[in-house]
Amino acid sequence: MSSLRILVSFKVTPDFEALREADWLAGAEADAAEGAAHSVETRYVRRVLNCFDESALEMALRLSEARAERGSATSLGALSVGGGETEPYLKTLLALGYERAARVEPEAALDFAPAVTAALIAGYVRRVDHSDLLLLGCRSGPGDSGTVPFLVAEALGWPCLTQVIEVEPLADDRVRVACLVDDGLLRVTLRLPCVLAVGNAVVSQLRVPTLTDRLARKNERIAVLSGADLGVDIAAEMRREPSVLTGLEAIDRARPGIIIGGATPREKAQVLFEEHLKTMIETL
Amino acid sequence: MRFAAILDGTLGAAPQQASALAGFLREGLSGDLAGETLVFYQHDSDKQRLVELAPTHDVRLIKTTARRPERMVEILATVARDEETSLFLFAGGPGGTELATRLACRAHGSVLTDALSVAARPDRLVCRRNVYSNHLVGRFELTARPWCVTIDASWNDTRGPADLEHEILSDSDETGGSGATPLEDVELVDLPSSGDLAESRFLVVGGLGAGNRQGVERIAAAARRMGAAFGVSRPVAMNAWAPMDRLIGVSGTRAAPELCIVVGASGAPALYWGIEKAAFIVAVDLDEQAPIVGNADAAVIDDGVAVIEELAQIVAAEREHG
Repeated sequence: MSSLRILVSFKVTPDFEALREADWLAGAEADAAEGAAHSVETRYVRRVLNCFDESALEMALRLSEARAERGSATSLGALSVGGGETEPYLKTLLALGYERAARVEPEAALDFAPAVTAALIAGYVRRVDHSDLLLLGCRSGPGDSGTVPFLVAEALGWPCLTQVIEVEPLADDRVRVACLVDDGLLRVTLRLPCVLAVGNAVVSQLRVPTLTDRLARKNERIAVLSGADLGVDIAAEMRREPSVLTGLEAIDRARPGIIIGGATPREKAQVLFEEHLKTMIETL
Repeated sequence: MRFAAILDGTLGAAPQQASALAGFLREGLSGDLAGETLVFYQHDSDKQRLVELAPTHDVRLIKTTARRPERMVEILATVARDEETSLFLFAGGPGGTELATRLACRAHGSVLTDALSVAARPDRLVCRRNVYSNHLVGRFELTARPWCVTIDASWNDTRGPADLEHEILSDSDETGGSGATPLEDVELVDLPSSGDLAESRFLVVGGLGAGNRQGVERIAAAARRMGAAFGVSRPVAMNAWAPMDRLIGVSGTRAAPELCIVVGASGAPALYWGIEKAAFIVAVDLDEQAPIVGNADAAVIDDGVAVIEELAQIVAAEREHG
């Protein structure tokens, strides 16, 4: 295999930790009142890269570097199913050395439609990118289903490993992969093409490009595709989606939250110990 | 309506899978259903032990090769077609997710992962699962059969298999099958044990509020001094301030200690899921508005590292002077 084509599919999501408790309750209450699934209002919070996708994007860069050391060429591509909010990330990826950057206009709310998302990614791999290796995060909010990697793999007829934490290049068309499985850590060699879904990898932060790199690639075009370009009728697929979100419920996690008094850490620790922990700790 | 619970006895995790499925069948599943367990096994010597683990009276044994999910999916697709099984239930985890998703594709059914509960209706399956990174629960309806469902890892809290008599309905050898495995040079490595976290009665959890690696190490030292197990939030593990096997929460360990002290972690639901079974939770955080404060039994608003070190000193002195 002369130049290995790696595609990383990523998602930009709202930062769920930045929402207030009241926003979650409002989302669930509006939903209960109207008897239909309305998503939570997340437009005002900042956007972040899905953490597992961020790992996948950095792992692909490292895989490309490791192959270069062996004298093997790699061509990196990045894809996101999402709107304009994905473009700053795609530009960053171009600056970091990704050669291809594309987004698919979702045309509908796909957060709880993993089968449609997977059809679009598979369509892009098959019709446009002709990738040898697809990397993506093992799951992404708000749906968190973890099914997209396997749905893509089924559509392409490729093997798939999830909870991947390390990938190393081998000669020819193989990679050595470490992934967490139900009974431990598995190290396996896998022949390409394949799908690798990244989990809690130590490689978790995407590097930052230099200003020079940004300027050098600033005029590069980001391809914007529609479902039709990929052979996917998004509206029809949405009607066929076999799993439908019908409502949201708040989760009651409230506990008393008694605030411990005192002026200094020492005093507060003493009050906490005397009033709450002393008897308990004796039995532990 | 028929269901099949899937027990992958080719893996070492079968006992835990079996008790999780048993708990789910007792408390998580409702509807007019009758079912059986499909037990995959690799060695004849494992059969008796696996049958005893099965969470239903009726058991079908299927001999196969370990780590051949594509083959297991083929076999399950045949069952779905021939036996008119409406619902396939899998244990949570990567293996169950793969089998359930691929089976739904091949058999033109529908898939739902990490179910908290499932109610079977004549024409649809109503399921609940966590969404929005565990901030909310979503209700889902699945229509196309077979319904392929994995159960949430919280069902792993179930202790022990179902106490049942068993009847083996069939035992088939499916070790042949088509196609070569895509996996070569397979090596299974034992992970560093995080059993001390899962089994701990006293747990201290450190978050990003520790400030840096040294802060995390100081919290860990205070925990050791008090005889507590020590875990961390995902951001701490991702910053490599602590090893990944210390991770508490959705992508790590779920613990159920008598006492849990959370130091400098805001209490994001993905972390809280890992400690929600704790009998008593103490939050130590600089921010009184942090979610963990309202989700704790008691809270100290101050620098986490300073407070936990003071507390460790008090506990040590108390033990010394008794």
